[in-house]
Amino acid sequence: MAKYVYCFTDAGHSLPLADLRSVGAEGTVLRAISHKGLAAVVSDAPEGLRPKRRDLLAHETVLETLSAAGPVVPMRFGTVAPDDDAVMAELARGAGRYTELLTRLAGHVERNVKGAHQEDALLGDLLADNPELRARNEALRAAGGGSQPEQVAFGERMALAVEQRRTRDAAYVVAALRPLAMLDRHAPPVKDCFINVSFLIPATAQDDFDAVVAQLRTAMEGYAELRVSGPLPPYSFVDAVEATV
Amino acid sequence: MTIMAQPSSSGGGGGGSAAGALYDVIELILDRGLVIDVFVRVSLVGIEVLTIDARVVVASIDTYLRFAERCGRLDLTGGRQPVGLPAIVGQITEDSAERKAKGALTGAGRAIADTIHDIVTDGRG
Repeated sequence: MAKYVYCFTDAGHSLPLADLRSVGAEGTVLRAISHKGLAAVVSDAPEGLRPKRRDLLAHETVLETLSAAGPVVPMRFGTVAPDDDAVMAELARGAGRYTELLTRLAGHVERNVKGAHQEDALLGDLLADNPELRARNEALRAAGGGSQPEQVAFGERMALAVEQRRTRDAAYVVAALRPLAMLDRHAPPVKDCFINVSFLIPATAQDDFDAVVAQLRTAMEGYAELRVSGPLPPYSFVDAVEATV
Repeated sequence: MTIMAQPSSSGGGGGGSAAGALYDVIELILDRGLVIDVFVRVSLVGIEVLTIDARVVVASIDTYLRFAERCGRLDLTGGRQPVGLPAIVGQITEDSAERKAKGALTGAGRAIADTIHDIVTDGRG
């Protein structure tokens, strides 16, 4: 029977699997497959498994619960192995790498930071900062909006200014939080966000991290918001960590 | 559930339901995590995910027209408080550098100008 794979852990992990809901059919239990010092957390994946939205939550809950009890190497959602033997073979094949990853991840958590500008505040700030753009805006306003080509040309200039400001503000947020992190990595782009970055931080540094986030929010009040998630399992750092070895 | 989108002072986000907080980590669950060549990825056709198709929108004529229209409607007559981000980040990184010197931080501490410069020239990495 194929197996849905959630993560790898140390074999000594407490693995509190009993009350966790699996991906897929209700009542499917989670089990651990061990090989020497490592374990894989799996559940039966029947033929034609088609994960639903609720399965994202199940997957996340499993990983969060286990991550809170010890380091895990999270799989990408939707990972399925053909059978138990294949799982064990992978644990054997990758033992050195997975053990190293778990060692480096121990005691660390992922925090994800997304930021989005309040659009009117951003545009207002850009116009206030740029006399040429401001003058052009006024001229178009005086002309009742201007022709469509004029609007497009002006809008394109504003779009460029917006892009530059988004890049700048992202750099500021990263600069503020990076000193607290072992690693940081940009996450996949999300619409309307000027930043989407994950930090791997010591679990003990979370209060400091939150304090810096609070300072940033104060500075950005009315202009932009930060949405901070975590502590999360280290989704963004299970290949990046190896790259820095 | 330990995920939470911490409430921001400008509204939006908040502790909220687990599903609401899941929204902000969906792209991590789907696009990050370990990929093992010999294991397969099951079809995700059944998932209706709000943000998975929310890729960065490429600027278009519609975008430009929208910016022009919004700028035209802005009320710019009021006094403007300069956005405090550069100043606060300068202060934060100074504090971090001090603490690093005392051995309190393990992260890389560099002059803020160098960090900003590197980030801006490297793009979104």
